[in-house]
Amino acid sequence: MLVEEAFLQLQEQFPDVEMKYGKTDNYLGNSGLVRVYPSSEQQISAILKYANENGKTVSVEGNGTKRGFGGLTETADILVSLSRYKGIVEHTVGDMTVTVKSGTVFRELQGFLAKYNQQVSLDPSWPEDATIGGVIASNDSGPKRLGYGSARDAVIGLRVVYPDGSIIRTGGKVVKNVAGYDTNKLFIGSMGTIGIITEITLKLRPSPKAESLSLLSFPDANLKEIHSFVVDLLDSMIEPISLELLNPKLSKNLTGTEQYTLVVGFEDVKSSVDYQINKLKDLKPQNSELNILQDEELRAFWDRLSCMIPNGKRVSSSNQTEACVKIGVKNLDVVQVIRESDLLQDSFNLKVSAHGGLGHGICQVNLLGAQEDVALAISRLREVVESYHGYLIAKHLSLALRHKIDVWGDKPTYFFLFEGIKKKIDPNRVLNEKRFVGGI
Amino acid sequence: MSVRQSDVMKEAPCTNQSLSNYLWDDAPDENKWADCVHCGMCLESCPTYEQTGQEQHSPRGRVHLIKSVAEGKLEVNEQFMDPVNQCLDCRACTTACPADVDVGGLIEEARGQIRQAMPLKGWKGRLSKFFLEDLFPHHNRLHTFGGVLKFYQKSGMQKLVRHTGLINVMPNHLVEMESIMPEVKVPVRQKFKDEKVIKAKKEEKGTVAFLTGCIMDVMFSDINESTINVLTHNGNNVTIPEQQTCCGALHVHAGDRKTGRKLAKQNIEAFKDADKVIVNAAGCGCMIKDYPELFREDPEWKEKAEEFSAKVEDVSKYLHDTGYEKPRSEINTRLTYHDACHLAHGQGIREEPRNILLDIPGVEMVHMPNADRCCGSAGIYNITNPEMAGAVLESKMQNVPDDVEMISMGNPGCMLQMAIGARKYGRNQKVVHTIQLLDWAYQKDAQSEQGRGDD
Amino acid sequence: MPKLKTKDKHIKKLAEIVKGPNSILYLKEDLLAYDCDGFTIHKHLPKAVVFPKDTEEVAAIVKYCDANNLPFLARGAGTGLSGGAIPLNGEVIISLVRMKRLISVDTENRRAVVEPGFVNLKLTNSISDRGYYYAPDPSSQYCCTIGGNVAENAGGAHCLKYGVTTNHILGLEVVLPNGEIIEISSDGIPDAPGYDLLGILTGSEGTLGIVTKITVRILKNPEEKQTVLAYFDKVSDGSHAVSDIISAGIVPAALEMMDKIAIEAVEAAAFPVGHPKDIEALLLIEVDGVSAGIDEQINQILEVCKRRNVREVKVAQDEQERGRWWANRKTGFGAMGAISPDYLVQDGVIPRSKLPEVLGRINQISEEFGLRIANIFHAGDGNLHPLVLFDAKKPGDTDKALKAGSACLKVCADVGGSITGEHGVGIEKKEEMRFIFSDEEIMAQTNVREVFNPNNLLNAGKLFPTPGRCIEMKSDVNEPLSS
Repeated sequence: MLVEEAFLQLQEQFPDVEMKYGKTDNYLGNSGLVRVYPSSEQQISAILKYANENGKTVSVEGNGTKRGFGGLTETADILVSLSRYKGIVEHTVGDMTVTVKSGTVFRELQGFLAKYNQQVSLDPSWPEDATIGGVIASNDSGPKRLGYGSARDAVIGLRVVYPDGSIIRTGGKVVKNVAGYDTNKLFIGSMGTIGIITEITLKLRPSPKAESLSLLSFPDANLKEIHSFVVDLLDSMIEPISLELLNPKLSKNLTGTEQYTLVVGFEDVKSSVDYQINKLKDLKPQNSELNILQDEELRAFWDRLSCMIPNGKRVSSSNQTEACVKIGVKNLDVVQVIRESDLLQDSFNLKVSAHGGLGHGICQVNLLGAQEDVALAISRLREVVESYHGYLIAKHLSLALRHKIDVWGDKPTYFFLFEGIKKKIDPNRVLNEKRFVGGI
Repeated sequence: MSVRQSDVMKEAPCTNQSLSNYLWDDAPDENKWADCVHCGMCLESCPTYEQTGQEQHSPRGRVHLIKSVAEGKLEVNEQFMDPVNQCLDCRACTTACPADVDVGGLIEEARGQIRQAMPLKGWKGRLSKFFLEDLFPHHNRLHTFGGVLKFYQKSGMQKLVRHTGLINVMPNHLVEMESIMPEVKVPVRQKFKDEKVIKAKKEEKGTVAFLTGCIMDVMFSDINESTINVLTHNGNNVTIPEQQTCCGALHVHAGDRKTGRKLAKQNIEAFKDADKVIVNAAGCGCMIKDYPELFREDPEWKEKAEEFSAKVEDVSKYLHDTGYEKPRSEINTRLTYHDACHLAHGQGIREEPRNILLDIPGVEMVHMPNADRCCGSAGIYNITNPEMAGAVLESKMQNVPDDVEMISMGNPGCMLQMAIGARKYGRNQKVVHTIQLLDWAYQKDAQSEQGRGDD
Repeated sequence: MPKLKTKDKHIKKLAEIVKGPNSILYLKEDLLAYDCDGFTIHKHLPKAVVFPKDTEEVAAIVKYCDANNLPFLARGAGTGLSGGAIPLNGEVIISLVRMKRLISVDTENRRAVVEPGFVNLKLTNSISDRGYYYAPDPSSQYCCTIGGNVAENAGGAHCLKYGVTTNHILGLEVVLPNGEIIEISSDGIPDAPGYDLLGILTGSEGTLGIVTKITVRILKNPEEKQTVLAYFDKVSDGSHAVSDIISAGIVPAALEMMDKIAIEAVEAAAFPVGHPKDIEALLLIEVDGVSAGIDEQINQILEVCKRRNVREVKVAQDEQERGRWWANRKTGFGAMGAISPDYLVQDGVIPRSKLPEVLGRINQISEEFGLRIANIFHAGDGNLHPLVLFDAKKPGDTDKALKAGSACLKVCADVGGSITGEHGVGIEKKEEMRFIFSDEEIMAQTNVREVFNPNNLLNAGKLFPTPGRCIEMKSDVNEPLSS
């Protein structure tokens, strides 16, 4: 169908909703013939109901940072952008909960909460661009998940528009709740395939009173030593909120030192942070180098780290292929994964930036190089990861590569349950077609 | 047959007491189960639940069944008897229970009903009758029995039985018992029968009456001697009232509450004049403290029983409360302490014996996990329910630390059972009574003083 | 195999599937112990109780039941407080208590694998010598099983800081209602691709599948713990102190409250501490973490309490004292037996800021129904446990208690809270689900159930209100057995 025809048809249906001609994007895909910018939940509901009843497909995005994450179609009929659906719905300071519209930019939400010395304890990529809805729908997390958990630990309630237009609340507004199934969990990380999240209620934490970041670099690149140091560290009484291992390349970008580097973060009251830094100094291997960041330096470091992966909103002008994968393995297997990722540079002539959390097992690896090489390297890395019983998901790939490489890996044996869930909720396959595991 | 809800309903249109299927006096006390809210906190404390994982063999399950008979939903029959009789009466559930439900009391009352509804048959019945009716209440016979045992051991009969394979004819668990039978010595009731008061060795604090116990005095008379030594060493005159008899614990556990009451009355009378009654067997102490419960339908005797039980004290608690001399001589040993159920759960005595042991120089105490878990002895339970007792013992022995030389405790039944356990599982621990160790240390003190005197 | 005293062909078949000794119960006297769980108002006999020893036996039992249209359900220690394990439809009960092995402990990667019948506290006891523990600590942790914890998404006093069961489950092996065995994240690696089945299964109250193996997160013991006990003459002062502590940016490990009637009960029961009888509320507050920061936080807490007119406040001097305080608190429900023949415990959750208001309204309910209501609660996360005291032997009392309990939940729902924070919906609160969810929302959930449990033979009749019935509920709760 022609863009214009689609636009007119939709505009006639929803005269009050702001909409634009869609821009086709054959590089990342996941666009729409028409981009609509609903400003209310009713509008979202009406659009979905319309699509559902008229056999239209709908793609959903916040600010588009994750356009390279999954999906095999270049263009859906309608692209629902939530970028205008933003703002705080409710914040009760004493209850330490906040309800926010899903299109709210993550950094804006944190800025709002900071005024009350509170925070959402998540540290996703591209906080300046990413919307809270996108973070939740894609289950994005950062190094601090060691200390604070991930989206599934922070979300206590959602409002979701189902493909048939019905508005369903899951969870609630209280921090502890077991009434009915914990259906919040179904939507976290569901890649928008079973509903559009419109409101999110989150559990908050007090802003840390003091924070510090210890960069511990290992000139010998002795991974055994790193491994045993980390075991000792985890076994000691200190409680880091991040324990992220960087490969030398990424370390160079972020700190200037081209060595394997451990990023150990502490957030607590000042006396506790100081005490833990001292403990760390006692524990650190002799030949390692410790560099402590505070205040501005610390914030700048976290910012740079959160912006290291490709951003679907700001497609790079580079003529090289850029990709990013998320890897999950057992906590300490992260050491091997980061090393293997690093080795890809020579084997496939790539630039590879990799980091992984030794306390939680999630790694992120950026690859930059020729398309063929990137594809081969990802396959190789997937083999390695699977030998550790882990998984590899491609978080950012060009549409072309997504057709070559299975973004989500093999279907699990219980895939029929995923299919069953999708079919019950979205029988007409309206939402984010083929964006998720096994072409759901 | 599977059960449909309607079957049960027909039998129980409502919870009127008149529907109760308890047909005899002294039926389980409604007030005791009223406190049970079925929370389940008792489950893990129960050795039989641990073994079976089945809730009819758990405290709250048993309470539920006992209540259901009163409500007319069940009858007093074999199916009901099984869970009630499988109970070890260890009282661990009483400790665990947030609402202090007296499960032990309920079980004993229910057993009273069972006993009357279904008298014991078969070898269990004969065995039980022999011990409970013909032996324990008669201290003369017990002494004779002790004499026979002594003859058995001394005469070479024991050797003969063991060597000729005659032992193979005995049921397995009796063989195990035979093998650990302590050497029978002269009971203190005989030894001191001419002494009205055994005088304190040091400055007199007062006089205590000593309940010698029936098995204790025959099988473990040396412990009784130790007890007397320790008491007199610490300034107590000791009397052994002539008319005392078996405490009745075994009878009551077995549901023979009638005999239990008879024995209780005799003891109450026998100790009428005593101010303080000392017991060194946890089972006896616990039973006597429960005497008032036996007379809940007889106010006159209930009052006497209450008066009596208030005077009764376990020797470890008594020493702890009234003070004792800390021995100076070392007994160099690594040991662990087992909480006898009727001391820990029955009387709340846990720290006192441990403190006594720790006051002996040279004693190193190793923690035993689940120290207050029943060993499976439970009176004559190990004779009547050998399989369950064996399973309970096995799990007890798994908790005994490897590297100790002794296991100390405060109850003769446990001592026998733990000795079986030590032998059966190839352990070399010596089983001792807490008071024995203290006595040995005092004896060493005396020896070394004598030694110095000789210099 | 011993000869069965039954002609029932299903029982004979099931007895062939579960091979261990004494692995099936089917006689009335034995089944009676299984006619309810920790929720005793509703009772029903099961058809049989089977005791499988491994996953394969569970799967075989489930397959048989599914093929023969026999309703079935799983049971752990039966300590649930909402009736989730009660065989409403004469189910075959699959008791998982014999599957109680600790399969493996991996301290480096901070996880342990257990069978569902493994008792919660035993996990901590098994790893404490290595300095680790399992965080979710429901009050029944002495005896409740981790399988049951998963089914109910159990909470506990220390969930304020460490989260509930779902935050600690890394992997599950599950027998689906058709007998198929699936393994989800068996290595305990987070964020497995696909919908979060761990999340949906945890807290599904045994209606989506039977968990047969569980990978849990274990945590390093905090370096230091400090526990504070504070007595208040006014409930409102106590509840304001709760808010103030949280607002001060402190995240206590636990923040518990008991009111006057609750104190009366725990002091009359097995683990008295010697609380004054004339105070209106007490707070039990625990802070843990790296030793360096603890004193600062404790001082802040003491200051807050003083500002809120505390009568007496003290810090536990040693582990024994701390243990006594906690035993006193954790046996609080059972302790009600000491002051009342029966009690009904509710489990509402409210936004913390509404605490004073809600306590006032619960007081009104108590007066209105003429029943005493004790309050024990996890004040830090707004999880209330009003305990309605009644005497089932008094005609009409049970009904009154149920209505009073329901009214308490209505109050919680009306202030934007939930009807259950950790006990689950079960049978008890299924009609109250309507206080917080629309028909459409309830259907969205039953749709999920249909994906897993299409024949609805597994634990049917729980969690969701009976379709087409309105709020006039509970008329069937006075079931025949106890009436």
